[in-house]
Amino acid sequence: MSDAPVLRVEGLEARVAEEDLPILRGVDLAIGKGEIHAIMGPNGSGKSTLAKVIAGHPGYEATSGSVAFKGENLLELEPDERSQAGVFLAFQYPVEIPGVSIANFLRTAVQAHLPEGEELDIFDFTDMLTERMEMLEMDPAFAERHVNDGFSGGEKKRNEILQMAVLKPKLAVMDETDSGLDIDALKIVASGVNKLAEEDPEMSVLLITHYQRLLDYIKPDFVHVMVDGRIVRSGGPEVALELEAEGYKTFEEAGAAS
Amino acid sequence: MSDTMTTTMTETIATEGVTDALNAAAVERVSLGEPEWLRERRAEAWAVYERTPMPTTKLEEWRYTDLRTKLDLDGLRLSESETAPDDPAAWPARLRETMEADHEASGHIVCIDSHVVHTDIDASLAEQGVILDSLHDALESHPELVQEHLGAVVPAEDGKFEALNAALWNDGIFLYVPANVKLDLPIRVTRWLSEPGTAYFSRVLIVADRHSQVSYVDEVVSDDFADPSFKSSAVEVVARDGAVVQYVTLQRVGRGTFVQSAQRTLAERDARIDTLNVGLGASVHRVDLNARLLGPGANSEMLGLYFGDGSQHFDFNTSQDHIEPNTGSDLLYKGALDGKSRAVFRGVIRVHPGAQRTDAYQTNRNLLLSPGARADSLPNLEIEADDVKCSHGATVGELDSEAKFYLMSRGLSRTQAERLVVLGFLGEVLSRLPLGGVVEKVVGVIEEKLSQHG
Ligand SMILES: Nc1ncnc2c1ncn2[C@@H]1O[C@H](COP(=O)(O)OP(=O)(O)O)[C@@H](O)[C@H]1O
Ligand SMILES: [Mg+2]
Repeated sequence: MSDAPVLRVEGLEARVAEEDLPILRGVDLAIGKGEIHAIMGPNGSGKSTLAKVIAGHPGYEATSGSVAFKGENLLELEPDERSQAGVFLAFQYPVEIPGVSIANFLRTAVQAHLPEGEELDIFDFTDMLTERMEMLEMDPAFAERHVNDGFSGGEKKRNEILQMAVLKPKLAVMDETDSGLDIDALKIVASGVNKLAEEDPEMSVLLITHYQRLLDYIKPDFVHVMVDGRIVRSGGPEVALELEAEGYKTFEEAGAAS
Repeated sequence: MSDTMTTTMTETIATEGVTDALNAAAVERVSLGEPEWLRERRAEAWAVYERTPMPTTKLEEWRYTDLRTKLDLDGLRLSESETAPDDPAAWPARLRETMEADHEASGHIVCIDSHVVHTDIDASLAEQGVILDSLHDALESHPELVQEHLGAVVPAEDGKFEALNAALWNDGIFLYVPANVKLDLPIRVTRWLSEPGTAYFSRVLIVADRHSQVSYVDEVVSDDFADPSFKSSAVEVVARDGAVVQYVTLQRVGRGTFVQSAQRTLAERDARIDTLNVGLGASVHRVDLNARLLGPGANSEMLGLYFGDGSQHFDFNTSQDHIEPNTGSDLLYKGALDGKSRAVFRGVIRVHPGAQRTDAYQTNRNLLLSPGARADSLPNLEIEADDVKCSHGATVGELDSEAKFYLMSRGLSRTQAERLVVLGFLGEVLSRLPLGGVVEKVVGVIEEKLSQHG
């Protein structure tokens, strides 16, 4: 814990680009190496916006504050540079890319993560992909399907985890990876994340979720509550239990009062 | 190339080195030495040409392609090259490279300008009666077969350009596959155009007899021309009962050329004719394609793919004629447009009276890569039977910015992300007719074009 945080968000304010619509209204958050944090909050509180600002979505604009990743100013980097630096966002709504197979897509992505001038060996890649899919208990045929095209909700989320397993990020932001999953699918996804966290104890995770349910399977070290573009409460896993008992109402009132 | 090689040197038909305009005298000259029936045909075609007005944008079928600004026939001359080298070593490097990039084939034809300079066909296929030849040679070796079909599928009366082509065609290709003969590998035709300011007229006649099977890939390549040029072709494809034909064109000519192609496919009982038109090059590329499903059980898959940039203009005019019951057709044309390029797609499904249980589909999708690009899509249905399944759809969309962000968030550069999205979009067409060599070539050209995308 003596290490500097992997991610440090300070006083972050952000709005929808080219619209005067503030969403994040001063977010502070520090995630240390190997820590698992959860952000919970009601719909529309700004959780996805925070995730997208971290990943560099061009539709949002940081108007104030800072986001540092391993000491580097993340806001200056393009989304691909952030990925290459080790940031990964598991999308709440993964995008369909018709006509592009998962294998082809991931090969291009892995190549993009290699240092300049280094060529990816196609056989090494195939072996690695096979191994990752086995780890996640996925059918090898899945890699030949087109990215998210016609996938069920569960398949889309598992595809996000597969990408994460292949790219091995240093910081994984997982935006409602649990939503829309039945309990079996949720267990598979959670066990995938846990395996990856075990494999790389230095990987930090930011779980964004709406429900306590996910946190029964992935144990967070810290829990934050976001209301109306701000983090209104931070603490240990007990915060999630409080939330479950009391609902967001008290936090919303606290947020409004602050 | 295969072991039997019959190399053809076409004698030039034009008289020594005169500069020809497109006129009745040129028709005379081009018909010198031809059989009487053909000379008459040419003269009649010329008469049709002369009495048919040049299409204007007042006609629905030419609404978006203004020939007054895009084509000056009077400024063109006929091909002047009298001969072309039959020795591959003397062929232009790009022509050779184009052929080297091909996969295996059952046979080849190479055309340079208006000359068929090379023909080869697998010996065992030749023994089984497969004919692959220049039209001029086939006229002598198989006159009845040629006379039966030539100009019967795409007649001069079809229109101004069809008439002009029927009057002035210089050489062409004849492919005949006898009943029950199946070719495992495609026939590959490679054409090279070298004369700026020239009008080229060629024809293709493919006859697949009962239950035969053949794939034919026709690729045309040239450099950019400073002087406007014109390449006209008439393509006639006949599939007899139960025959299966794949017809593919790959248009990769340089800027400065107006490419016009009139194609008709006749599918008889239980026959299947699949076509793929790929438009990558040229300044203007116009295709008129009519698929006629003439016998019960006939089917046609009609695929098109185009990628425009600069000020390229594509115009695809298609029709699906369901004449007998229980026939199917499925059309998918997809294109990406960059720069100030433009595409027009106009398609009609016609279900003739009595053609019950027709299954006919038509889809055109366009991806605009720049604010200056434009696509117009005009799908149409004319249905005169009641028990049919028909649908048509058209979309014009932009590159999905969420898709781009998604891919970039995995480390892909903006260019790589765009490339993947565009190739994925167009790839649907290629995956429906995955002929060896074609996919790689098309992807190669598209990647080249994308790398210039700003
Ligand atoms: N691109 C956008 N355009 C307009 N409003 C947006 C956009 N993105 C987010 N918002 C608004 O910002 C608020 C926060 O959204 P979001 O970050 O998605 O919340 P959460 O993920 O917590 O449900 C919501 O009110 C939402 O409607
Ligand atoms: Mg959200």
